[in-house]
Amino acid sequence: MLPTITVDYKKCKEPLSCRKCLLTCSEHVLGLGTDVPPKKFKETDPEHFIVAGVRFDKCSGCMDCVEVCPQNAIQVSFSGGM
Amino acid sequence: MCDWCEKYGDGYERWYFNPANYARRLYKIRKEETEASGAEVNPQVAGGMAVVGRDFLELVAKGDMEEVNKIKQQVEGAAWVTHFGQVVTLDEALRVVDIMYPISLISCACRRSMSGAPDEENFVCMGMGPGMYKWERWPDTYRGGVHFLTLEEAKEVLTKMNKRGLVHTLFTFGTPYLGGLCNCDYPDCAAIRTVVDLGIRILWKGHYVARIDEELCNGCASCVHRCQFKALSFVPSRDKAYIDEFQCFGCGNCASECDQEAIIMEERASLPALATVW
Repeated sequence: MLPTITVDYKKCKEPLSCRKCLLTCSEHVLGLGTDVPPKKFKETDPEHFIVAGVRFDKCSGCMDCVEVCPQNAIQVSFSGGM
Repeated sequence: MCDWCEKYGDGYERWYFNPANYARRLYKIRKEETEASGAEVNPQVAGGMAVVGRDFLELVAKGDMEEVNKIKQQVEGAAWVTHFGQVVTLDEALRVVDIMYPISLISCACRRSMSGAPDEENFVCMGMGPGMYKWERWPDTYRGGVHFLTLEEAKEVLTKMNKRGLVHTLFTFGTPYLGGLCNCDYPDCAAIRTVVDLGIRILWKGHYVARIDEELCNGCASCVHRCQFKALSFVPSRDKAYIDEFQCFGCGNCASECDQEAIIMEERASLPALATVW
């Protein structure tokens, strides 16, 4: 079953320095991306890094990421029949 | 020999021993689409590590194999032109650094994406060739820039990475230009993860296959943790290690760990059923 993983970007502000969900997930389901493409001459500002579910097929539904997030930014649900 | 050796080997034993594949034009104001898109892999987070999106996973879950295969072919076709890799052994990687220049350590977009690895700990990738001058020129874009290595340093680094258990892979940036010598593992390398778990061949098997000589194997199981491709296991009823030769990617990391020299790296081409399994 594939979960729906939502990250509230208003709450998750500094994933590059926090990293808690990325390091807690035993199946490495979550990943960091950027919400802007890379630019020449510039380092992508840390605030443009976002956490998202990537490897949904590996998610067991343990909810460890939901619990470990200090901002309660992650929601994981398995409804919807898929 | 693999499709790439046939196409780009030009008489060399392997396409990645052909020096021409490490050279590319340094300056061109307007690149053709293919050449341009080879460079557009997001160097900061490898595109969030998602080679395919959630919709692909839903199709797999649904069992719609026709659609799944269609998407696989699309993704593979695009990757083989712009950015894909092949596994090599440590010895092959050491030969590669002999024939190209420059080589440098660069930060790994995959590990940054997977675990938010801080730049200081994240220089596990190696970049090769003229493309590295781009990284030197714009260190901010490429997070951490480059750390150029001498030939000796490069070989030392590769040997250390291999001891740690990382797998060496060569990656194109606009095939056949080989710009990346990566040190991969499962599941934090997008390529290994995608090929092993989803069967999308953005990483090709190497030119060798590991085989166990069961008479020499003493059942110590030291090799078992070395396989990043789910090809190696331990058989308690025989007290021997076992390699699924059709799954084996030929990296050689199990063989280098075996004290009994019970694992042999065979040329893939010499095994009729495996010669075209890439």
